[in-house]
Amino acid sequence: MTIARSELWGGRALLIGLMTITILPFISIFMTALHPSGTVPGGLDWPSDPQWGNFVEAFKVAEMPALLASSTFIVLAVVPISLAISTMAGFAIGHLRIPGSRMLLFLFVFGLTLPFGGIIVPLYYLERDMGIYNTRLAIVLPLIGLYMPFAVFWMRAHFVNMPTEISEAARVDGATTWGLFWRIHLPLARAPMLSLGILMAVWTWNQFLIALVLVEDPTQRTMAGALGAFQGHYATDVPLLCAGTILIVLPTLVLFILFQRQMISALLQGSVKG
Amino acid sequence: MIMFKKRKLISTATMLAVLLIAAQMPFVAVQAPAVMAQSEQPSCGTEPVTLNAYFETGFDIPFELADEFTNQYPNVTWDIKQDQFANLINSTPRLLSGDNPPDLIRLPTMVSFAEQGLLMNLDDYAAAFGWDEWPVPQLNQNRVGEDGTRGSGSLYAMGLNYSLTGIYYNKEQAAQIGMTEPPATLAEFEDLLAAAKDADLLPIMQWGSAKSGMGLAFPLQALMASVGPVDPINDWIFQKADATIDTESNLVAAEHLQQWIENGYFPPDINAIEYTDANARFGQGEGVFMFNGDWQNASYDTDMPGNVGFFLMPPAEAGGSPAAMSAPLTYGIAANAENPDCAAFFFNWVASNDVAREINVTIGGSNPGGPSGLEMPAVTEGSVINETLAAGVVVGEAGTSMDFIANATSAIFAQGWTPELQKMVGGRQDAAGLLEAVQAEYELELAE
Amino acid sequence: MITSNKRPASLAISRWVSRSKAAHREIVIGWLFALPALLMYAVFVLLPFVLSIRYSFYRWNGIGDMTWAGIDNYRTILEVPSLLGTISNAFRLVVYFSFIPVTLGLVVASVMQRVAPGRLGATARTVLFLPQVIPLVAAGIIWGWLLALPGLINQILKLVGFESYTRAWLGDFDWALPAVGLIGIWVLLGFCTVLLWTGMTRLDPALYESARIDGASWFTEFIKITVPLLKHEIGVCVTVTVIAALAAFDIVYVSTAGGPGNSTAVPGIQIYILAFTQQRIGLASALAVMLMVMVLVVVLPIQRLSRETAQ
Repeated sequence: MTIARSELWGGRALLIGLMTITILPFISIFMTALHPSGTVPGGLDWPSDPQWGNFVEAFKVAEMPALLASSTFIVLAVVPISLAISTMAGFAIGHLRIPGSRMLLFLFVFGLTLPFGGIIVPLYYLERDMGIYNTRLAIVLPLIGLYMPFAVFWMRAHFVNMPTEISEAARVDGATTWGLFWRIHLPLARAPMLSLGILMAVWTWNQFLIALVLVEDPTQRTMAGALGAFQGHYATDVPLLCAGTILIVLPTLVLFILFQRQMISALLQGSVKG
Repeated sequence: MIMFKKRKLISTATMLAVLLIAAQMPFVAVQAPAVMAQSEQPSCGTEPVTLNAYFETGFDIPFELADEFTNQYPNVTWDIKQDQFANLINSTPRLLSGDNPPDLIRLPTMVSFAEQGLLMNLDDYAAAFGWDEWPVPQLNQNRVGEDGTRGSGSLYAMGLNYSLTGIYYNKEQAAQIGMTEPPATLAEFEDLLAAAKDADLLPIMQWGSAKSGMGLAFPLQALMASVGPVDPINDWIFQKADATIDTESNLVAAEHLQQWIENGYFPPDINAIEYTDANARFGQGEGVFMFNGDWQNASYDTDMPGNVGFFLMPPAEAGGSPAAMSAPLTYGIAANAENPDCAAFFFNWVASNDVAREINVTIGGSNPGGPSGLEMPAVTEGSVINETLAAGVVVGEAGTSMDFIANATSAIFAQGWTPELQKMVGGRQDAAGLLEAVQAEYELELAE
Repeated sequence: MITSNKRPASLAISRWVSRSKAAHREIVIGWLFALPALLMYAVFVLLPFVLSIRYSFYRWNGIGDMTWAGIDNYRTILEVPSLLGTISNAFRLVVYFSFIPVTLGLVVASVMQRVAPGRLGATARTVLFLPQVIPLVAAGIIWGWLLALPGLINQILKLVGFESYTRAWLGDFDWALPAVGLIGIWVLLGFCTVLLWTGMTRLDPALYESARIDGASWFTEFIKITVPLLKHEIGVCVTVTVIAALAAFDIVYVSTAGGPGNSTAVPGIQIYILAFTQQRIGLASALAVMLMVMVLVVVLPIQRLSRETAQ
């Protein structure tokens, strides 16, 4: 290991610089949020008299409890279902290599390239016809469908790298396909499933366009969908808007800080090998 | 997002036309509603009713009125949903044609919904409550004819109040530049702007972000009415056949605006200023003048008590009549609403109940309209509301009120005025090009 | 990614026929595994996709009757500058959303690998990943405040003596799009870095060891080993970020709403306005189809380039 000193310090400086740039916006809005409501503070001034009450006020006006409940419900509906069906499909395509799996994979991968905005208009009319428009299902069902390309692709990447010997041994012992999946492969797929689950939870929580178009009532939307309405009401009051924004991003940040080790190590093990 | 407010106005000419037609053809009413006796007037009844309403985020007036209504009629409760104006514009067609159509909804636009049969025709209610006898031409702005033009025909919406736009000024700074009384002509006003610039003050605070819609539409329309006639502007907004915004006098108006921009009369970051930011900054003393409407009265009074004044845009010709954008805060009832009677009763109550009228004036800052002979609620001494109410009388008598040029079609603001005026600020569009581009967008939309 | 080993259909059929009953049963069971995912995907993605194409050939206000319009909607998009401009804006965003985060991400990840194997690297990954987990809407609001005239960016510029450069970034014709792009970089850099770094940790350390024994510089290592071996991860990164750029909606919606003067209007915003404000469903769908074609045209070659070798 011969790394020049200059490179060592140069590299570290680059990393620290980038970290600062990344974190500064958070610090800036945090400081702004502590200023007296109604003032227009500078970007980085520590307030002389921090107004912690702004967070309480924002919690009230943003209808946080209702938003948290709504978002949580949507996440709890979307993530487990998506995980279950994408893992099964990934297993079928990546490990069982069912006939037509290439075509199937191609079909799913095609979906990776479809932007939400491209299908939002027909989706709206489709949901109207199905009678689920303006309910939380209006967000849940399309999200499951929209996540399938990425999720199946992700899980297939894991299964395709599973040595076939494992299955062959189990087959010799008389395991059914289901048994093979349930008892042998599922425990081995925990890491990629965990990281996929966390990713999908975060994406769902942060979903904006679908919530905006398919659900009219802001309190039935996702967190991100409600943030827009909050902004409209408090744009004059920069500190309060910043406090509300912090409250709305806090749950995902906490989730990430708590699970970062799993998330990053899961990303590591389940890294996309295609 | 105020500027999107669907405030319909009727010019004298249109009104005269309506009257003439009515006089000539007394037997051809659009829909002769059966006149009901007082006792048969629609009401909210005594059974529990829940009104399903959609209000606009950021304006307290409808919420306050709803609370007071429940105070007086405890059997009525509200299920109020609110959203930002931009989102509301987008959701209205979906809401009206949806499974749970609202009893009351803030209407950003009207004609297309009336034509599609999504809005309740209010003619019967107007007859039952005697709305037709109200003095100001309050209802005609909300009428849609069979040919899809506004200003006459069946009634499809009601105003919760009738607001007015003009020029607000910071009294201290105006005195500083030698303004002792409001300017009487456009030239005088422009002298004041130049004086403000020379005194290192910001002459005009205005907003211009695409998120709020371009606030320069306010001064532009004020200039149009100052240098030219009002009727062609209304004809264009009401989509009369062959109407155009690209006229000679409008070109003069647009050139004035371009000159103002080039002279640096507006804040340098106007293209990024949202409506709410602009008001906050004006309230903090940034800007001698600001073009806005009386819905902002209460917060100006709060921000700069005793220091805010109001005048109408002066005419270009000495002795001419001032003109103003002025329009109802329009609400409608969905065609398939569950409680239309109760919603109509609410409309009537807002205009005629003393407490409701007071809420409208003190919080909304606007004229509550309603039947003739009702007293205007008393207002605090020194409030700018007094000035806007007085100015409203002037415009009403002169018959020079206009609807808003941003209301001509559902997208003319987002796709026409806003981007083109922003380009003008950025030096990428001139007066002639602005009018040409907006007219082209208008024709494109009407051709669809 | 996808092996291009095409089998003629006739061969497949003959193989199917020659299979035993047990094998048939296995196949049916295998397909049952894939079915639920396929079903959800077909109903909520593929069907709307087909409907988008269908609507794009009609004139429809979403409520009344549909009338056949042929290719009129497409023609309108190509003729109206404000619609056509959305497409060029989207491609300009690709530079900021994709090119910069991927390139910078590669550099940062390899620096991390070389000089920060321990705690610093772990902290850096966590911190850089933070913007990825907050809603894009929040990113738009946060940066909207930072980029405003009294905001942090101008404050810093004043501090370092560049007062003349201060402006309302999101309201400036020349700078609004780069400013939106900056928000995209801030959001996507962490995602790319972590993904690429993960890929690097997979590479055989022996490769680097031998390179270092030969005295290879960071740059040589980077070009000769890292980039070629990370083709697949780079492909994933580029694909994800390009789609994020072309399909941008949230950030633009809350930061500029397409202004000033349509200079940041992207297809996503315009589809939304056309469909839900103007009720021009046909035109909105035509733009949506163009957007989807655009993404495919850009992404497919990337996929081809980064395709894995058959294992």
